Amino acid sequence: MRIGITVWGNIISPVFDAARTMLVADVHTDGIVNKEKYWLHAGSPVLQVETLRRTGVNVLICGAISEVPANMIEGAGIRLIPFIRGNVEEVLNAYLRQQLPTADFMMPGCGNRRRRRRRGRFRQ
Amino acid sequence: MASNNVKTPEGDLPANVTEIILESISEGVFTVDKDWRITSFNRAAEEITGVAREEAIGKHCWEVFRSNMCESDCAMRRTMDEGAPVVNASAYFINSERRRIPVTVSTDVLKDANGSVIGGVETFRDVSQVEALRKELDGRYRMGDMVSRSPAMQKIFTLLPQVATSESTVLIHGETGTGKELLARALHEHSHRKEKPFMAINCGALPDTLLESELFGYKAGAFTSAVKDKAGLFSAANGGTLLLDEIGDISPAFQVKLLRVLQDNTFQPLGSTQTLKTDVRILASTHQDLSERVANGSFRQDLYYRINVVTLPLPPLRERKEDIPLLCERIIARMNRTRGRAVSGISQEAMAVLMSYDYPGNIRELENIIEHAFILCPDEMIMPSHLPEHLRPNRQDAGAVDRGGIRSAKRSAEAQSIIDALARNDYSRQAAARDLGIHKSTLFRKIKALGIEPPATDGRSNRNA
Repeated sequence: MRIGITVWGNIISPVFDAARTMLVADVHTDGIVNKEKYWLHAGSPVLQVETLRRTGVNVLICGAISEVPANMIEGAGIRLIPFIRGNVEEVLNAYLRQQLPTADFMMPGCGNRRRRRRRGRFRQ
Repeated sequence: MASNNVKTPEGDLPANVTEIILESISEGVFTVDKDWRITSFNRAAEEITGVAREEAIGKHCWEVFRSNMCESDCAMRRTMDEGAPVVNASAYFINSERRRIPVTVSTDVLKDANGSVIGGVETFRDVSQVEALRKELDGRYRMGDMVSRSPAMQKIFTLLPQVATSESTVLIHGETGTGKELLARALHEHSHRKEKPFMAINCGALPDTLLESELFGYKAGAFTSAVKDKAGLFSAANGGTLLLDEIGDISPAFQVKLLRVLQDNTFQPLGSTQTLKTDVRILASTHQDLSERVANGSFRQDLYYRINVVTLPLPPLRERKEDIPLLCERIIARMNRTRGRAVSGISQEAMAVLMSYDYPGNIRELENIIEHAFILCPDEMIMPSHLPEHLRPNRQDAGAVDRGGIRSAKRSAEAQSIIDALARNDYSRQAAARDLGIHKSTLFRKIKALGIEPPATDGRSNRNA
């Protein structure tokens, strides 16, 4: 299995749409066997998704992502685990231990259960 | 007991007055320490981001305010590095519902009482409504696949729905590349025939015999290579719309055949003895002056009157240069989509070059110019060096631009637009100001500042005449 993670230094890139680098990890039964970095064309969902297809990732772990690239990725049959934050190694290990997504690694305000409603005082 | 209140000439204010103000404003405000961890987060920031204060405090700012700027061009980082504030930078952040929220962002350094930097402060404003209004306004300048702000095109956009729903034949007149086929398509799309086919044929590109077989079809054996029946466009477009492009180019002999179809709605396929009925709305287009062709006898008068029920004149691009930025925006958006690029726009200098060109090939030429620039532009912004050589100022002029002549290029483009608008509006300054979308006093000021010579006669003298 190939896992893609959009990275910014040693942390998960905050926004997939603007991410420039993807770490691809090959995972076999005995753990991670290979890691490679790929350049992503930030700002172009078409080219970003094309890179995902070309690299053959089955799962993408990323930070915040907007609807258009998210739909394209899921449409390409890639499992998307979005709104993840934190150190890349810790996130990768959590995924391998099947502990993703959990509250510890979710971005603030993106918890599964409680979603804050925008009361709209300043919006319309 | 000593009061913690703040003394002002108007009386005492509570000690937490700053906090109260921050909580009551509609702009999101947060502060970070030197490790980029959020130290305060006001109520508007909660509202706009959808993140509760207790969740935000202590987190890295990029995990809460998930903006496209974070990774490559963080405004706060720029401020911290350079010590200078950033004001109203445009960006977006992504909320938990995967929506991009457009915002304007301002940042500044945060100092303690001794003047030492302790972090940064960021304020942001949700501009979704502004963006929505901008899109709505853009919609007013759009009809089908055409966009324009020019008064001449706006007139066509206003007429178009009525003309489209009528069954009349329409003659579209315009130079090559002005969008005659787009207008024909828009007429079809707004007509009752929109569910039926829209077909177009360039009459100028085909000899008579081929044009006849394309339009009327043929029976097997009608000519040597006609091995089986073929339906023509009058059959294929039945119930729909047929555009006869460059109708001025058809021969006098074929004009007679076409007239018959237009008069009787009947035609005979080649090699057939049977007369077929057709229900097709005819739209015709030409770059020629057909009335002149009628006058010199090379175009039949009866056919001219048959097709010239409603005429829609498409102005050339040089007469609606105010549309160039809007057209560029549309072309760039389309090319970004089809080529997977992320070009964000055209620099002011490159736009000044585009505005000063006359476009003999009209919108098609502008499209080609942008395509050229797309190939040469490696980044997000199209610069003058990405434009074709023949558009760029020559070396001497380029030197002038380098020496601060960008202003002069802008001035000359501005002056040209004003001169064009005045000419279009019979030198009426009021009408020209309306045409340019500026107030007449602004126009007067610009005419004076740019040293534009007043014409011998103007709109006022015309009015008085």
